[in-house]
Amino acid sequence: MSDKLLLHAEKIDKKFGPTHAVKEVSLDFYAGEIHALIGENGSGKSTFTNMLTGILPIGSGTFTLDGEQIAPKNQVDGNHHGVAVIVQELGTLNGLTVAENLFLGDEGRFMKHGIKNTAAMNKKAQELLDGFGLEKVRATAPIENYNFEERKIIEILKSTWFDPKILVVDETTTALSQDGRDKLFEVMRDVRAKGHCVIFISHDMAEVLSMSDRISILRDGDFITTINASDVDEDKLKTLMVGREMGDNYYRTDYPNYATEPQGEIAIMMQNVSVPGSLNDVSLELHKGEILGIGGLSECGMHEVGKAMFGASYDRTGTVQLGDGTPIDSINTAISNSIAYASKDRDNESLLINDTIQDNITLPSMRDMGFILKQKDLKAFAKKYADIMSTKMVGVDQYVSALSGGNKQKVVLARWLGKQSDILLLDSPTRGIDIGVKADIYQLLAEMRNQDKAILIISEEIMELIGMCDRILVMKDGKINGQLFRSPELTEQDIIAKMI
Amino acid sequence: MASTNTKAVAETQEKKFDWHQIKSLLPIISFVAIVAIFAILTRGALITPRNITLIISGGFTLMIATVGVYMIMSMGCLDFSQGSMMGLSCAVVCFLSQYNPILAIVGGMATGALIGLINAIFHVKGQVQSFVVTMCMMFLLRGVIAYITTASPVYAASYLTALATNTPLLIGIVVAVLVIAYLVLHFTALGSNLKAIGASETGARFAGINVQRTKIIIYVVAGAITGFAALINAIRIGSVTSQAGNMLETQILIALVLGGMPINGGARSRFSSVVTGVLSYLVLQRGLVMLGFTTEIQQLILGIVFVIMVAVFSERAANQVIK
Repeated sequence: MSDKLLLHAEKIDKKFGPTHAVKEVSLDFYAGEIHALIGENGSGKSTFTNMLTGILPIGSGTFTLDGEQIAPKNQVDGNHHGVAVIVQELGTLNGLTVAENLFLGDEGRFMKHGIKNTAAMNKKAQELLDGFGLEKVRATAPIENYNFEERKIIEILKSTWFDPKILVVDETTTALSQDGRDKLFEVMRDVRAKGHCVIFISHDMAEVLSMSDRISILRDGDFITTINASDVDEDKLKTLMVGREMGDNYYRTDYPNYATEPQGEIAIMMQNVSVPGSLNDVSLELHKGEILGIGGLSECGMHEVGKAMFGASYDRTGTVQLGDGTPIDSINTAISNSIAYASKDRDNESLLINDTIQDNITLPSMRDMGFILKQKDLKAFAKKYADIMSTKMVGVDQYVSALSGGNKQKVVLARWLGKQSDILLLDSPTRGIDIGVKADIYQLLAEMRNQDKAILIISEEIMELIGMCDRILVMKDGKINGQLFRSPELTEQDIIAKMI
Repeated sequence: MASTNTKAVAETQEKKFDWHQIKSLLPIISFVAIVAIFAILTRGALITPRNITLIISGGFTLMIATVGVYMIMSMGCLDFSQGSMMGLSCAVVCFLSQYNPILAIVGGMATGALIGLINAIFHVKGQVQSFVVTMCMMFLLRGVIAYITTASPVYAASYLTALATNTPLLIGIVVAVLVIAYLVLHFTALGSNLKAIGASETGARFAGINVQRTKIIIYVVAGAITGFAALINAIRIGSVTSQAGNMLETQILIALVLGGMPINGGARSRFSSVVTGVLSYLVLQRGLVMLGFTTEIQQLILGIVFVIMVAVFSERAANQVIK
């Protein structure tokens, strides 16, 4: 890191209606540094960088990049000013080719007399892909030919090939496998080596400490402090983020003594279930009073397990049934039989984001509340469970789209708590969620386990599986490839060995 | 804790100036504005008792049919076949009224319900967008109506047309339909389910709502309601020509949008849009007639108003995520 000031943010401020997301934050970014921005969900990290990159208009305050004041109108304008961003969710567009995605909004560079030279664009795109180690990817192929991971990598190339002075990496790593992360980290180091700056947003404290030079902390929209990464450890960071000491009870600490199989009675079971393209003859049993984990590589089919058990898979063969033999073959039968499901795709499947918190929480429970419903009762019901989950909100008539990732997940859990579900199928329950909320969720799951509920956790975070589960099934290529039992000696390597 | 509470109170107060709050009042404001403007322009002629009766009695059919379309639109669907559906149902009512009044009512509603069912099957099972399906249905039914009225219009029995002057009875019927629909949509899960489907079909499905079945039921019910509106139409008009129900679908759409209905439905749909919207539309249309505008200019003005209201009430920012 040099002592050359590259970007100066002066009293950056942003309000969304009643929510004051970023409060007069002033920050300096130097040439040749990886500068991490951390904070709980809703602390204003993404809002801050979104104003810098042109995704959101600036509320008030100024950004000065290399002595020039910038206020990008959109992402492409941001790119022209030398600011690029890689976002958390998918940032490429279906229906366009890889090349068209790479140069989206920037087709002008291949225009001559108003005519686009597609051949030149494809050629340039293929050169960039080859130079990036993506020889397998064809510039002329439609982007949907590639999977989530590959598309994320293509997006990294899209955001960096023109050597931006500032690269914002916004919570991208949670969407990537280890290989993808390594590729991203290589790109980040590369940007730093060129004397540019990376603004790195991540909830993974180990990652933040190992990758960044300096770390700035935001809490509830306020700037707290900037520190050198070499001067802190994980615990200190967590304390700074949440503003209180974190206890040791982050994961479960109990180790029940299992002989081999769990003792509880079977809550739900899958027998010879196949779903084309993801599951291949999978059988498993989930017991009462058990937390069962499913791990594996992102594409191993584990995410389909939750959908299949919830009756939401298309083209499912084989049977899913409760311990007493009741078959589960539609979402309706699943919900009537006390099964809850939280999808990895939180915004589309777990929630109706363009609807109120009240509707989101009450929808599945309405059928238990009698034929005639009173608005007052529905509101009280929603408020009760939102409060139990300590959801940060203005009121239950607030729209879910206005909530941060962690608070959205709280609404999902509040819905199923309200429904008194006995079988919980949770896909990536803490994805993109900060440690404060994570700890709350883990504690809730441990309590529910003690109430004899059956819990399934599908997760890409191995530590979460080891920390929370009584039993872990590891999947590979659509099949179950191994079973591990809870033990203090269980290590990440034990699980990775079965994944690959 | 005290500071948190104060903050919460401050936030609630600030929320009162929320754009959405203003938007929710806009339909009422625009209704009052429309009445005021035309009352002034017609030098009070608009609000004479005789004229008010005329305006209201001209809107019975529209008001009833709009109730069904409101349900369809809150699911984020559309129905352009309403006018032709009303026309055909009306022909059935008129024809059957020659034999038996009960048969006429049931026959009209069954016709509408059947057409709604066909629409729903193509839309839900065939996975074709609702506006395409219902647009095709409109062309098809217009052909059918033209065919059955080629020789002569279909006339309703005289006992039906005799009711045309019984305004209190007709108003009573319209109010009954509105009250029943309001109660069902507000005090059962149905209203929330429809809005949830409009907000996100996938999200609704994962919340346990049977999206396909709900859609089919609503199209059938909306069809039956329009079939019932056809009965009122038969009473008031007394006959069916090839033009029966022409443009009704457009009138419904303009009325709902005037009433503040988001064009994509969803959580911000309000049943009050049916009443304020239809009344606004009726006054606007009558006012333009009274001012002596030609039909072409009336259409032009209605079109402009329609576009402006769609722009105001569409949910562009709905996908804005705050982090």
